[in-house]
Amino acid sequence: MSDANTAVTELSVEDLTSIMRSSAGEDESVDLDGDILDSAFTDLGYDSLALLETVARISRDHGVELGDDVLDDVETPRDLLAVVNRAIAAA
Amino acid sequence: MQPTPSPPSPSPAPRGVALLFPGQGAQQHLMAAGLYHAHPPFRRLVDEVFEVWGAEGAALRADWLSGSPDVDLDGVHRAQPLLFAVDWALGRLVLDWGVRPAALLGHSVGEVAAATLAGVFTLEEAAGLMADRVAHIASAPAGGMLAVHAAADDMAPYLHSDVVVGAVNAPRQVILAGSEEPLAESEARLRAAGFTCRRTRALSPFHSPALAPAARAALPALSRLPLRAPRLALHSAYTGGPLSPDEARDARFWAGQPAAPVLFGPTLDALLGTGELLLLEAGPGQGLTALAKRHPAVGTGRSTARAMLPARARGDASDLRTLRTAVEALAAEGWPVPDRLPVAAPASTP
Repeated sequence: MSDANTAVTELSVEDLTSIMRSSAGEDESVDLDGDILDSAFTDLGYDSLALLETVARISRDHGVELGDDVLDDVETPRDLLAVVNRAIAAA
Repeated sequence: MQPTPSPPSPSPAPRGVALLFPGQGAQQHLMAAGLYHAHPPFRRLVDEVFEVWGAEGAALRADWLSGSPDVDLDGVHRAQPLLFAVDWALGRLVLDWGVRPAALLGHSVGEVAAATLAGVFTLEEAAGLMADRVAHIASAPAGGMLAVHAAADDMAPYLHSDVVVGAVNAPRQVILAGSEEPLAESEARLRAAGFTCRRTRALSPFHSPALAPAARAALPALSRLPLRAPRLALHSAYTGGPLSPDEARDARFWAGQPAAPVLFGPTLDALLGTGELLLLEAGPGQGLTALAKRHPAVGTGRSTARAMLPARARGDASDLRTLRTAVEALAAEGWPVPDRLPVAAPASTP
C-alpha cells in the first residue's frame, strides 16, 4: 500500500513540466517541448525567482516540504526532480 | 567530373545585436574571474577600469578575486563598481570585435556601463560618477530589494511611502524596494498571502525614495561633467525607450537613477518590437537572458537571447565555454568575431 502511494506521489517529468507551464503567465512564452531534463533552467527562461515559484507549487500540490536552500545545487529539471523525489521518499 | 561548388548563397543580413547589461543583484562571487584569468583582452579591459579607480581599484580587484573579500561584495562599495567593471569590459570586448550593436540596454547600474560605452561619459568620468554615487548611497539608511513573482498591478496593497515598486522586470516579476524594516513588513504580508518572494542581493534601498537625498547629493558633481550625446542607440529602462541627445545630456536624469524605478520589462518589450534581434547579456549571471527568453518574440525564435557568462560562476572552464557559445551565436549571424578564443585546459574542469 505504501509502495502504491509512493508511486502516485512521486514527481514525474510530465508533472514538473505541467507545473512549470502553469507558473508562467499567459502573456509569457515558455518552450518546454522536447527533452528538457538536462537543459539549464535559465535556458528554459526560468531564473531563480521563477524556479522558487515552481518549487512553491510543487510543495503545495504534492504536500512536500522543501527548504529554501533546496535550490543551491539545482541547475536542471533532472536535478530538481532528484531533490524533490528524495524529499518525497523521506516524508 | 566533380560538380563545381555552388557559390555561397548570399547570407541574409545579420540580425541586429542588442547588448543587455545586468545591475545590482546580479553580482556573484568570482563573476567573470575565469575570463580574467584566461582571456587577456578581457583582462586588459577590466584592468583599465581598475586603473582609473586609482588606489581603490586595487582594493576592488583584490576583493573581486579573493576567496574571502575584506568588504561584503553585496554592499554598495563593491557590488556597484564591480558590476560596472564586468559589464563595461564585456560590452567593450564585443565592440572591439567589430560588432556595431543596434541597441544597448542596461538594468540599474548596467545603464551607466551602457552609457559609457555609448560615449555619454568617458571611463574616467564614469569612475568618478560611480565613486560619488557609492559614497552618497552608503550614507543612506539600510534597505534592500525583494523580487516578487507577481504583476506590478497586484502590488498596490503592499506598498506605502517607504516601499515602492523599484523595478518591473517582466509581466510576472517585480522588485519591491525600501528601507529595511518596512520592506521586511511588506515581505511578511506577501508571503502570508502566498506570493513567492526572494531577496535580491542588495543592502541599500535602490530605486526607492529612500535614496532621493543621495540622488540630490550626486547632482553637483554630475552637473560639472560635459555629458555627450550617445554615439550608439542607448535605450533607457528609466524612460522606456532610446534616449534623445538632450535626455542623455541631462545631469538630473543620471543623478536621479538610484532613486527612480527601473522599467526593464516594458523597455525590453518595446525594444523587441523594433525588429528581430540577437540579445547578448554582457554581465554576470543569466538573469536578463532568462527574462528575455520568456518574451514571445524570443519564444517564437524571431529574436534570440544568449549570455556571455554562465548562470553561476563555476570556474574558468565554464566562463570560457559560455563566452564561446555567445561568440558562435554572433558568428552564425555573420557578425565579426575573434579568430581564436582560449580553450580551457581539461585539468581546470571542475
